[in-house]
Order: sequence, then C-alpha cells, then structure tokens
Amino acid sequence: MAKAATGRSHRIRHVPELDLLPVMNLFCVIIPFLLLSASFLEITVIEMCPTEGISASGAGTTSLARSEEQLLQPKVIITNDEMFLGTVFGTRHVSYAFLQNRDGEITPTYDFNSLSEALKSLREELDTVFPTIPVNKIIILTVDDIRYETIINTIDVCVDHDFDQPGLQVAAYSVLQRQIAAGAAGGE
Amino acid sequence: MSSPPTKRHLPLLLGYKKSKALLRGKDKKVQLNLTALIDMFTILVVFLLKSYSAEGQIVTLSDALTLPESNAEQTVQLFLEITVTNDVILVDGDPIVYVDEAILSEGNPIPALVARLSDHLEYTRLMRGTTDEKEMKVNIQGDVAVQAILLQRVMSSCAVAGYVTQNLTVIKVEGEKNDTPEG
Repeated sequence: MAKAATGRSHRIRHVPELDLLPVMNLFCVIIPFLLLSASFLEITVIEMCPTEGISASGAGTTSLARSEEQLLQPKVIITNDEMFLGTVFGTRHVSYAFLQNRDGEITPTYDFNSLSEALKSLREELDTVFPTIPVNKIIILTVDDIRYETIINTIDVCVDHDFDQPGLQVAAYSVLQRQIAAGAAGGE
Repeated sequence: MSSPPTKRHLPLLLGYKKSKALLRGKDKKVQLNLTALIDMFTILVVFLLKSYSAEGQIVTLSDALTLPESNAEQTVQLFLEITVTNDVILVDGDPIVYVDEAILSEGNPIPALVARLSDHLEYTRLMRGTTDEKEMKVNIQGDVAVQAILLQRVMSSCAVAGYVTQNLTVIKVEGEKNDTPEG
C-alpha cells in the first residue's frame, strides 16, 4: 500500500500476540502419552506353509496325486558349503558359503544377491513355459545346523520374487546330496 | 558497505547507555519466545504419531531372545506363543523342553511338546465348544542362532498336535537388508 502523503506513517502497530501457553500445555500432555504408546519395534510374521517331511532315508511322504504346482515347486537347498536352487528345469548352483563372524561364532552365510538373480530368472522361465500355473510355494531345504537367521534371509529373498508361501524341510547332508544329484541328473 | 547501526537499532540490553524505553519497561513481565519450542514440539508430535500404535504390544519378547530381521509385512496376531532358544522351548512362557544334544540329533516331533500343544488345543475345544482355524495357529519366536533342526522339530510338533498354521515372528526392517558378505 502506498505511503500516506502526510508522512505520518510512523505509527507503531501493535500486532496482537497469540497466547501459546495452552498449546504448550496440550503438547506437554500429548507427548508423554504418545511416547508411552509408540512402538519403535515393529513385529511381523512370516506364515509358513505345511511341507512334506523328509525321513532319514530320504524318502519323502509323497502323495501320488501331486498337483502341477507341487511338481513345479522350486527348492532352495542350503548346505554348509553351498546354496543350490532346485527347479523343474534342474538343480543350479547359486552361491558358495562365506564364513562370517556372528555374535562371536563363525557361521556360514551366502550371497543372497546371487539367489535373488537366480530366482528372478526362474520366475521369468516359469512365466514363459508355464504361464497358466501359478507357482507361489517354495521349499527351503537345509542341513540341520543352518542358523534360523539364514533361513529367514532366504525366505525374504524368495518373497521378493513372489514365492511367498515358504516351507521348511531339514535333512541330513547325505540326503541333500542325493537330492542335488537327482536334480542335476533331471536337469541334464 | 552498510552504514553503522543507528543508536535506535542497538540492542537495548547490550548498549552501554540504557535508553528511556528500557527504563520505562522495567516493571513489565519478561515473555519467552515460545515459537521455536512450539516448532520443535510439532515435529516431535508428528514423529510420535507416525509410530503410534493403537493396538498395543501383542507379543511379549523375552530378553534371552534375539528375533531375526525381515522385510515381512504381515501383522502379528494373538495366537499361542512358542519361544525357541538354544536352551529351552517355552509354550506361553512355560518351559516345556530343555534343549540338549539328544534333541538336536533327531528330526521327529518332540513328544513332550506335542503333548503340551495337544492339551492346549483340547482345553480350547472344551472351553469354546469348538475350534476354528484361528485357534489352530501358533506364533513361533525363534532366536537368530537357533539351528534349523530345532525349528523343524518344533514346527513338526505343532503340525502333529493340530496347529496347522505356523507363523515365524520377526522384526520388521524398512528397506533392503544387506547381509551379503563382501569379497
């Protein structure tokens, strides 16, 4: 606005001040309440699929009438030395185990980026070759002393590629070797 | 170059000569400037509202347990809780099986655990008259260092006892985890 011609524009305008004390009081009540009910640790769950057990002899309790989805169901096979991906197209090597110090204990861990790439290419193959069959189940087949954390990490990678119904099977090393050999022979 | 501040613009309290304006306002109340404090509180309230949980804490975590981290997003619900550590297996807080070499050397369901879980399911059936799918679910809280064989034995025990759906309880982490070792 233009200045008054009289030049008497030096009046001090008293802007009414807001009384912020009630707002402060409100904040002082709200903040402790929110602090008490805030959850900084979010707990979630992974729903596991029921799986067929593998006996010590390696003979699974396999039903004769297996669905197409069951036949296509991939397996992530984890041994103490290697990780494999067993599929209907054959068994592929994914990664070797790396030794890592966790909580003062030397434990094997794996290259989950390689697993992610292997699952990605498997998903593409399944979508191309069997486009009408939805494959969402996956089996994590491990030797008996693999850490729980490794299993969860593996499941996470599987879920990223839409294999969101994981199951767990644990078998002796010799049984796994037989599975890997059978898978490799089937893939050739 | 800016001109030096005039006498009028000098801060009153720092000036060596106190002005009449200061002397006049000697009996006035000193007011705090609350704007900065309000700003800070507003940010704090927004942050706390984001992490506010109206449901409360459903899962009680044991101190002896470190849950694994995961990207899973399915929210936890109140079911029967089984806690698995390297020392003991607890059902709803009661120690049922102590873990030793014998437990880790086999792969079958654990009889004591199956019995306890069956009892619980039977009790639920008697109390409610019926059992639906919701009652046949368990939340398994496993320590990160638990061996796969122990987890598998617990899961197969649950399945034998009639708990067909088993949920693994994890801590949700935002974004991608980086567990891949370098080199």
